Amino acid sequence: MFGLIGHLTSLEHAQSVAKELGYPEYADQGLEFWCMAPPQIVDTITVTSVTGQTIQGKYVESCFLPEMLASHRFKAASRKIINAMSHAQKHGINITALGGFSSIIFEKFNLQQIKQIRNVTLELKRFTTGNTHTAYIICRQVEQASQQVGIDLSKATVAVCGATGDIGSAVCRWLDTRTNVAELLLVARDQERLQGLQAELGRGQILSLEEALPLADIIIWVASMPKGVEIDPAVLKQPCLMIDGGYPKNLATQIQFPGVHVLNGGIVEHSLDIDWRIMQIVNMSIPTRQLFACFAESMLLEFEQWYTNFSWGRNQITVENMDKIGEVSVKHGFQPLLL
Amino acid sequence: MPQLEVSPEIDFHSETYRDAYSRINAIVIEGEQEAHENYIQLTELLPEHKDELIRLSKMEGRHKKGFEACGRNLKVTPDLDFAQKFFANLHHNFQEAAAEDRVVTCLLIQSLIIECFAIAAYNIYIPVADDFARKITEGVVKDEYTHLNFGEEWLKANFAEVKEELEAANRQNLPIVWRMLSQVEDDARTLGMEKEALVEDFMIQYGEALSNIGFTTRDIMRMSAYGISGS
Repeated sequence: MFGLIGHLTSLEHAQSVAKELGYPEYADQGLEFWCMAPPQIVDTITVTSVTGQTIQGKYVESCFLPEMLASHRFKAASRKIINAMSHAQKHGINITALGGFSSIIFEKFNLQQIKQIRNVTLELKRFTTGNTHTAYIICRQVEQASQQVGIDLSKATVAVCGATGDIGSAVCRWLDTRTNVAELLLVARDQERLQGLQAELGRGQILSLEEALPLADIIIWVASMPKGVEIDPAVLKQPCLMIDGGYPKNLATQIQFPGVHVLNGGIVEHSLDIDWRIMQIVNMSIPTRQLFACFAESMLLEFEQWYTNFSWGRNQITVENMDKIGEVSVKHGFQPLLL
Repeated sequence: MPQLEVSPEIDFHSETYRDAYSRINAIVIEGEQEAHENYIQLTELLPEHKDELIRLSKMEGRHKKGFEACGRNLKVTPDLDFAQKFFANLHHNFQEAAAEDRVVTCLLIQSLIIECFAIAAYNIYIPVADDFARKITEGVVKDEYTHLNFGEEWLKANFAEVKEELEAANRQNLPIVWRMLSQVEDDARTLGMEKEALVEDFMIQYGEALSNIGFTTRDIMRMSAYGISGS
């Protein structure tokens, strides 16, 4: 049994989904209520691999909302994640992916220090951030979508925004060792970490976002923040490929400009329909087949019965592990979303 | 659940703390006393389970003594008048149901609402308790988790027949819980316990109990949030 811990993208979204799913008690409530609401298993999922293997999973709605971060309700945000994890473990789920902001909150607020949740001792090996698969998929999207828009990687400048994060650093490692990308631009807020990454890679130019954007043929956006940033598409190169691997995804609606191609990053398409309701409410264009790569990682771990926290901690994703998860991703029929 | 940030140092001996503690401690003592009496009264409705109910009643009595010691340790006199008024509505509903042989309603009030309320409060209290009270409360919580929940099991075994009455009893009594929580919100905060964490923990415990009894997720979401917006 695999699990997915997810959440909705805003209070408004949460209210409309609750209404649509027929939960009026939740639909009429404001943020105060969501700060108190307990986690719930709201969907049961069946996934079939192209190998013919079938697995079952559960979707745990944590009731976290990004507004909790924006309004500094950090304790509520942390309770949502830790309680959802405890709920998943209590329901005997072997491996659960922490989707959306869940893994970010877990790391940012040091939630690994919390071992005991009521009568549950959290077993962290039952959870994965799913970031290895996400990083792998983003890299494959770079390689394949660049061809679609006529960008030659060997001549391309690639900017990684959020380069020092767990996914960003993994993407940099892959681009450095597995591709012949001409130039890497490293963009992040923490200068010390940027210098550490530059030293590790032995390459890459550290630039501010404003400096990097006009130079890049490909922009990989892997920063996550409750509120997005404004990007002026007029300063971008043409053609320019933007891979929106951040959370929430808002670049495609924000940037509609000739020659600028925006692709939702870290999204996979499965070769067979998945039996679930939940993806219909997270605005995927083909809800029965498209999903976040981090969620797909827990499915892959379940298919392979690798009951371990495959992706955990910060900046520990190796290119070898990306290869390993990539291999089983292909084996079971997942493909990176392309333009 | 442990708090996220280190809470400001609590002065367990300050006047403000001890004043709030006099009410919260009294509520806990009264809650255990109510439980003690309720289990004895339930032996009349479920005589075939007398031994188990008496055992539970004694356990709740022991818990009460533990919490009395917590008050004495901080030299606080529990405000038992306040606590009795605090429980008056639930007490009345239990007595009324018992007089009419409505065992399902009695079990919902005692085994689900009072038990879940207590466990939620103890879980939130433990990280902010003084050393003496922490040890006592940890022992009580361990007791609560290790004993098979009598009411839950009985209701589960009779789910088809009791479902409707449980829903009605939920509608009657859950709004009382929200009012009770609001009533002690300020005192609980003085002790380092936040209302939203208390409500969340209660809803988790209560939801788990309802799920164990046989309700679906949809029922649980509807039932456990009943009346909360008016609180």
